[in-house]
Amino acid sequence: MKMLLGCTINAQEHTVLVDPRDTLLELLRERIGLTGSKEGCGNGNCGTCTVLLDGAPVNACLVLALEVAGRDVVTIEGVARAGELHPIQSALVEAGGTQCGFCTPGIVLAAKALLDANAAPSEDDIRHAIAGNLCRCTGYGKIVDAIAIAATRMREG
Amino acid sequence: MNPDPVEAPIARLKVIGKRLARVDAKERVTGQAIYPADLSLPGMVHAKILRSPLAHARIGGIDTTRAQAMKGVVAVVTAADFPAMPVGSTIPMGETGYDMWMVAAINMARDKVHWIGQPVAAVAAVDLHTAAAALALIDVEYEPLEPVLGILAAMAPEAPVLHEHVFTKGIEPRPRAPSNVCSRVVISRGDPSAALADAHASARLRVKVDTAHQGYLEPQVAVAQVDANGFATVWASTQGQFTAELMIARMLDLPASKLKVVPLEIGGGFGGKIAIHGEAVAVRLAQKCQRPVKLVLTREEVLQGGSGPAAGALIDVAVAAQKDGGLRAIAGTYRMDAGGLPGMSPSLLMQASAALYQCPNLNLEGFDVVTNKPRTEAYRGPGGIQAAFAVEQAMDMLCQRLGMDPLEFRKRNASVTGSLMPIGTPFPAIGLDTILEAVGRHPCWTDPLPPGAYPRGRGLALGYWRGTSMTSAAHITIAGDGRPMVTMGAVDLSGTRSTMAQVVAEEFGLAIEDVHVQTGDSKSVGYSDGAAGSRVARTMTAALVEACGDALRQLRSRAAEKLQSAPELLHYADGVFRSPQPSGAAISLAELMQATLTDGAVVGRGVSSKLPLGVEIGAHVCDVEVDTDSGLVTVLRYTAFQDVGLALNPMAVEGQIEGSVVQGLGWALLEGFDYGADGRLRNASLLDYRMPTALDVPRIETVIVETPVPNVPYGVRGVGEVPIVPPAAAVANAIARAVGVRVGRMPMTPERVLGAIRAAPGSSCD
Amino acid sequence: MRNFIYVAPPSIEDAIGELRRGEARPLAGGTDLLPQLREGRRNADRIVDLKRIAELSAIRPLPDGGVAIGAAASATNVARHDVIAARYPAIAASARLLGSVQVQNRASLGGNVCNAAPSADVVPALICHQAYAHIAGASGGRRTPLEKLFAGPGRTVLQADEMLTALALAPVRQRSATTYLRFTPRREMDIAIAGVAVRIDLAEDRSIALARIALASVGPTPLRAMSAERLLLGKPLDRDLSLAAAGAAANDDARPISDTRASADYRRCLVEVLTRRALAACARTLNIALDLT
Repeated sequence: MKMLLGCTINAQEHTVLVDPRDTLLELLRERIGLTGSKEGCGNGNCGTCTVLLDGAPVNACLVLALEVAGRDVVTIEGVARAGELHPIQSALVEAGGTQCGFCTPGIVLAAKALLDANAAPSEDDIRHAIAGNLCRCTGYGKIVDAIAIAATRMREG
Repeated sequence: MNPDPVEAPIARLKVIGKRLARVDAKERVTGQAIYPADLSLPGMVHAKILRSPLAHARIGGIDTTRAQAMKGVVAVVTAADFPAMPVGSTIPMGETGYDMWMVAAINMARDKVHWIGQPVAAVAAVDLHTAAAALALIDVEYEPLEPVLGILAAMAPEAPVLHEHVFTKGIEPRPRAPSNVCSRVVISRGDPSAALADAHASARLRVKVDTAHQGYLEPQVAVAQVDANGFATVWASTQGQFTAELMIARMLDLPASKLKVVPLEIGGGFGGKIAIHGEAVAVRLAQKCQRPVKLVLTREEVLQGGSGPAAGALIDVAVAAQKDGGLRAIAGTYRMDAGGLPGMSPSLLMQASAALYQCPNLNLEGFDVVTNKPRTEAYRGPGGIQAAFAVEQAMDMLCQRLGMDPLEFRKRNASVTGSLMPIGTPFPAIGLDTILEAVGRHPCWTDPLPPGAYPRGRGLALGYWRGTSMTSAAHITIAGDGRPMVTMGAVDLSGTRSTMAQVVAEEFGLAIEDVHVQTGDSKSVGYSDGAAGSRVARTMTAALVEACGDALRQLRSRAAEKLQSAPELLHYADGVFRSPQPSGAAISLAELMQATLTDGAVVGRGVSSKLPLGVEIGAHVCDVEVDTDSGLVTVLRYTAFQDVGLALNPMAVEGQIEGSVVQGLGWALLEGFDYGADGRLRNASLLDYRMPTALDVPRIETVIVETPVPNVPYGVRGVGEVPIVPPAAAVANAIARAVGVRVGRMPMTPERVLGAIRAAPGSSCD
Repeated sequence: MRNFIYVAPPSIEDAIGELRRGEARPLAGGTDLLPQLREGRRNADRIVDLKRIAELSAIRPLPDGGVAIGAAASATNVARHDVIAARYPAIAASARLLGSVQVQNRASLGGNVCNAAPSADVVPALICHQAYAHIAGASGGRRTPLEKLFAGPGRTVLQADEMLTALALAPVRQRSATTYLRFTPRREMDIAIAGVAVRIDLAEDRSIALARIALASVGPTPLRAMSAERLLLGKPLDRDLSLAAAGAAANDDARPISDTRASADYRRCLVEVLTRRALAACARTLNIALDLT
């Protein structure tokens, strides 16, 4: 039996009918139509579904939709502001940190959470922060470069 | 990282050769890029596939009555809903075509199943939960047969035979009994046995390579819609929309004019998305229920038989050299595990393993063997990595026995332009010696290995991949503002939207921002083979150079009319046609198009077919540390040297190389399928099928070398396949230098490395 | 996946009431439960979300100087907590091994315990810290030493109407060091092939007053390495003793099986290596020179 869910996604309030079995990922992709978060494995091992729940990165495939009642979710669609890219996004573009793009939304959110908490991460800090985001195309080098560039730019304002 | 081209690129190029951002990067970083699973169509239903729980069985009967009756189920299909595909059916592709009997079996088993996970039925229902529940209501009668899982077990004369119609090709006289050995290929010259017998130094090695998976993060997806006239549209995650269309049409007996395949963004392919995996099933379901059908594979399905992994292998190799390091013989037996259906000929991978060496005596014998496991498919340089793991280690062993530096050994024996390849044809222009010179000068080779808490070693390995050319087509129209609009026929797998925008910008004298590139569907652009075999960037470059020429000729003719001059007298540069002096009158592309918009379209067409090959060669250097207590191998430093002909975009080239190397490191150290005795994959998840994370690999440094391919536009070579070939061998050679043991198993997991260390004579065992 | 009713009760009492109804499962972080439901390895017709019960997520000091970790507290919150980070660093380190950052933000120590995988990474260090499992149930509350909670792979002794509410750690003593080390092929993201936690408390004369060694992934449940502990008790920690204890843990205490992740032999070998290394790490913290790698 479907249940009513109220939550905030990318600063917008939503009221949606969900199946109790729906995960947050299914809520986003199927019920609301925000398809930027991806499903790569369905059990928390690839990170392509990473979103921010009350600011903390989580795998949306491991959260039931009903668990986000009254809570705040940020997805990839909510990162750029009024068409202006976040420094992580522009750095990934410039440094070649995205190829097929399937891991990219999750990486952006994991990196954003890192830089929101740590303005001057070391390379090891960066690699730890994205260890839960698999990438099969880039070998990670240019992703790490991009996050470091973004950190520098954000510190310099 | 820092490209260090040994030969400087052509200085006059303005857009080609620049490190430009991808033209489609913004869509990716904002989540706007559309992959097939992102599609939602009105009335859409969801499909799920019922898969065989047995590795080898006859199908007695399938009863779908209960599933069809379930509320919410709108269609059910089995093999009965598809025409039987005769053995030997093919669809056109390249020189050999593609085996359709095999494609049909991969997509829907008929009469027999050959691996756990092979599809036997499918349902479409109003939601996924209903579809999943409906699968449980389909009754399939199986008559279990004995599965055969290992290569040697499958090759044994008394082994259960998987396919009664398979008789080993390449054996004289033609065998009378069917076999699990589908084909045998021999490439030979000279007398290797004699050479091995009286060589000054020789080395022998057997390696066993576990099946691995391409690991694309996006599982296979197909969305199929059939309109009121029976015309089917399929949106798919595919490396080739034309190949997919041919396969779907043949599998359904649908006329070619009744369907099209639309490629959307693809979340990785690496060879695993050339064959269809569910597209035709989705169309049949859509035909039956008259609603759009979405089929999305789960990761478990992808791993447990729903897709084609890379072949496991058992390879024996022997090499011999004279005292001064001159190679005398290479002999090898390459046994490839094709999985449940006949696979690829071993010829290319055998050639690849020996091609870079000038060697008078060769005997390479290859076997393609079926076993009751998922049918294997391509994975970047298919077979090359397994073969290199054997041969490059054997060469390294030879170096150790000769007391010769491995780089000097390679230089001593390196193939150069004109050297004979294993099949006897001469190499066109190649730059292996340039690559080896670059290695010798680079700090990764000259820096001493810094000491650490555990033994460390440095390894060198080479890689070769031939690639393919086949056909690429494109057309260019000119927008009202004078800017070229490109439609290319090949799927963008390696960033070709961007590199081709650079090519067209270069040809037109414009900026990359002025060029719009899209990929056409299978009915809106000229036939193009799939994105595979490292062929698209170079062949599409050739097609586009032709298309640009065609478009510019049409534009020139219009400009001549407007400028009242003879076309051949006009000068074109940077978007402007100019009359000769004294008039000097000029017209820009924008002005020209505005003035002639209603005169009809300017359409430039180009096609490239069978372009001379741009073979790929790489040399990799790897430093490792081996924890001798646990067997854990840490890659400390990795440098990949590769000849790319001409780097259309060095940043993109680096990205291809770095990613492909990391895939190679993954298979080298972490990734391998673990099949149980019943043929079930025991590590069918991304938890236990371990792909490298950002913490598991160092920075990959790349060094780009450029030896252009003669007589092709811009001299571009393929890039993406060869980087996966050397890593396992480079790591194994480094391990051997660190701890004095050869690990003959891939992946070289910590347990296996420790086992090799402990088994070595002279080591202290517990 | 079978359909289920989702409830989020506001109190432990209400939660117990829900757990008594049908095939109910408690939900904290969900990082084990959701994959299990999806793959059909566990079934539920009622999911009881514990996260609205504030005390279950709390981490609070105990009157005796120890700490109680609410069963639903996330790994991230545990690892960052001042008292845990300062006084129980092995627990903080273990919490950070529960998977990626994304998983740590959700996974709870209580969930890791109750999922009862032999490989549970938080359990060995908790056992070393003499943790008690605080349990609430329909017939009242009880507590049990943590190592007695496990009945077999994936099974605890909890009754259907019981739930874990907190893990109570003993106060940390002077001259005490605890280390948890595990072995995985990848740096993170993997299930431990073997895990060893070692705790050494020294008496005033620097002999070993308390030795606790707990093993993960080498038996049907987490194990205490009793013969190794017995070897250590009462003696000064030195190289030979460390090697002997490591050997005993591997050969006498560990009971590994072979599976897709590793063979039993390799697991034994790793127990020896990890015990040796964990003892060395404790020794460094206690300013003992061991001359061991």
